Amino acid sequence: MQEKKGYVSFVLHAHLPFIHHPESDDYLEESWLYEAISETYIPLLTNFQKLVEEGVNFRITMSMTPPLLSMLDNKLLQRKYIKYLKKLIELSEKEIKRTAGDERLNKLSHYYFERYSNDLHLFKDVYHCNLIEAFKHFQDIGVLEIITCGATHGYFPILYVNEKTVKAQIAVGVQTYEKYFGKKPRGIWLPECGYVPEADKYLKEFGIDYIITESHGILYADPTPIYGTFAPIVSPEGVIAFGRDIESSRQVWSSINGYPGDFNYREFYRDIGYDADYDYIKPYIAHNGVRVHTGIKYYRITGKTEFKDYYNLQWAKDSAERQAGHFLDCRTAQINNLSQYMETPPIILCPYDAELYGHWWYEGPYWLYILFKKIYYDDCNFELITPSEYIDRYPNIQIASPCRSSWGANGYSEVWLNPTNDYVHRHLHVAGDRMCELANLYPDAKGLKKKALNQCARELLLAQSSDWLFIITNGTMVDYAKKRIKDHIGRFTKLYYQIKENQIDEIFLKDISKKDCVFPDIDYHIYQ
Amino acid sequence: MPRKTKEQIEKETETKPKTTKKQTTKKESAKTPKKVASKKEATSKTTTKKATSKASKKANISKATEKKKTTKKVATSKTNLKKAKSSKKATTPKKKKVEIVEYYDLPYRYNETVVKVLAQTPKTLFIYWDISDKVREQYKEQYGEDFFETTKPILKIYNDTLGYSFEVEINDFANSWYLHVADSKCDYRIELGRKPIIKTEKLNTDYIYITMSNKIESPNDHILFNKEQKMVYFKNVKTGEQTAKSTNSLSFIRNMGKIYNIYDLYKAIYQDENIEEIYDLSNPSSGNPSSRKSFL
Repeated sequence: MQEKKGYVSFVLHAHLPFIHHPESDDYLEESWLYEAISETYIPLLTNFQKLVEEGVNFRITMSMTPPLLSMLDNKLLQRKYIKYLKKLIELSEKEIKRTAGDERLNKLSHYYFERYSNDLHLFKDVYHCNLIEAFKHFQDIGVLEIITCGATHGYFPILYVNEKTVKAQIAVGVQTYEKYFGKKPRGIWLPECGYVPEADKYLKEFGIDYIITESHGILYADPTPIYGTFAPIVSPEGVIAFGRDIESSRQVWSSINGYPGDFNYREFYRDIGYDADYDYIKPYIAHNGVRVHTGIKYYRITGKTEFKDYYNLQWAKDSAERQAGHFLDCRTAQINNLSQYMETPPIILCPYDAELYGHWWYEGPYWLYILFKKIYYDDCNFELITPSEYIDRYPNIQIASPCRSSWGANGYSEVWLNPTNDYVHRHLHVAGDRMCELANLYPDAKGLKKKALNQCARELLLAQSSDWLFIITNGTMVDYAKKRIKDHIGRFTKLYYQIKENQIDEIFLKDISKKDCVFPDIDYHIYQ
Repeated sequence: MPRKTKEQIEKETETKPKTTKKQTTKKESAKTPKKVASKKEATSKTTTKKATSKASKKANISKATEKKKTTKKVATSKTNLKKAKSSKKATTPKKKKVEIVEYYDLPYRYNETVVKVLAQTPKTLFIYWDISDKVREQYKEQYGEDFFETTKPILKIYNDTLGYSFEVEINDFANSWYLHVADSKCDYRIELGRKPIIKTEKLNTDYIYITMSNKIESPNDHILFNKEQKMVYFKNVKTGEQTAKSTNSLSFIRNMGKIYNIYDLYKAIYQDENIEEIYDLSNPSSGNPSSRKSFL
């Protein structure tokens, strides 16, 4: 067997904002979760399972954010997901009939029918609606390391004006992790990889060993790290930072030859929700009749053309296998090149959005599966590792302060702070200050007041989600994001006055506690 | 990672939430013109120590003056209280018997005297501010009813790392500002003040301090190769033991150079990438724009 000269570490960041509307079925945004379950989370789980069954020793790291965990654990959303699947199965049955005259299309209709039926079987009978437990299983057997994230994906470089609000994001992130995984997380995915050194002391306080940063978080660190992103650094406060490798990210993301753009891959934007006859598809699109994605897509990317060819499952698999081989060869060459300059073996860190794999890049989970198999069987010069394992093996780490950075456009805060969304920040800051004020005013609150204070903390955290700011910048679903900010700031502000005036409206409190039911065990004292 | 730059700092943007049917505090229209102001004058960029002490001294003096002012108690006018209450009401939704109907607007303002600064990029700061009605009344009492008409608002930018400061004239229609600064990786504070347009007997001063912001460090934006650096420090994170290695051992410098050359190589390889491509979104996951890529 070849000597291992280095390591590759995959980190998938699984996150969705907390979307929970018991009051209505009309929120399209709820389907983000269902799509992610069917296209990303279940495919990842089934591929992990396949690897384990085939005796492939692999390692992968995933951050599962507190809002995502809360939604996966939510009974109402679990029921709604089953309903969603049943509708899709019904639609694919209809599709089998509708496409009977076209053999290629009909084969795909059958494929979707089987796939969604299998999802339903897995979700209900195998996972018993509990995907968290399913992921935890792989952590328990040692192939998956799960890390945490900020409580609601609040972006630290904006929140840290009031450090207590950053501390609370970290505290609740760690508490939620412990609740579901029965131990403390060793790592954290900083929301949007937004790094500020002011957060380090709180990360240490809550037992976090390491963070993931964008490449320049390491490259622009002070003093300059001698191994670039190919080794972690440790901040003066003792937080270890791993930086994203540039070359491997480019291979996946490059707009010219990035893997997901392969012509044989499934075309995301051609969906029967848009293509099918309106009266036929109407029961399966939005309640208000707006066409949306259904999840049944028949075309492949084909090329830079509007005339798309049908999707071919085998061709797509062939491309994934070819690309997995390419990735393996590139990493082998990269590690050969690097290891001669380094005293400790280099680590190539590959962080991605989990939802890229499967949701956006439909074949992504299969690509990972093939890649991990190749790494195991091909006797290459590196092996897979988690950041924790790397730290344990190579604990001697250069001291340097990571650079303030994020993984958003241009590497700093422009995505979450620009003229489209900057009106929000003063509200987030004031609400943060008011929350601290309340926590200090009422250190011994009991009964209704305590409930109200805890709900205030939930409203504040939900308002802080970086997702709303991102959506506003991006220009799609803007109304929903703006509404969420108004709702949470509005509920917070109303409760703030009610608490201070000692006139808590119990019915109102009960109502919003039901809607915004994230973090049932939260304790407002974290803001003291 | 191809990064997109869909969002550009536009000069003038309406940022206030659209006024809606229920907004009761609509007295002052929510006009917030935003301008990207550029550094107008950098005062003495001399030795760091000297200038810093100067800047902080000044800040202290002006702070003291504010304290004096605020200690001079001015009875809060009843109208203010009313205002505050009515604005509070604006956020209170109507209640119905069967279900709670909620409707919220963001509070128009919080009626507090504040300046806050955030770093948008290593060289662009975002600043927002407000002056409470109470403090406004205090200034009017001291300098005359037309104080806010006879003075113009100023932001003083203090670079505490390099020890210089400069002023930017803003206007009373804005409540936030994007500001270009020359130096990344520096500590900044912003002071809000006013300057008389014409000096009068009552207003016989060059500058009136109002309030000071939080302090921030702007991010770094380049590799900090330091040729003077003699040692590289390591920490064993298991034992806590620290070790130092001399950069004089040639292999270090040579190897480091090679490793950083690899990044130059990447730049050369990927320079032809079009990072301005259109991204699409329908599923926000983490906010990383790269995942919203259109794969066409």
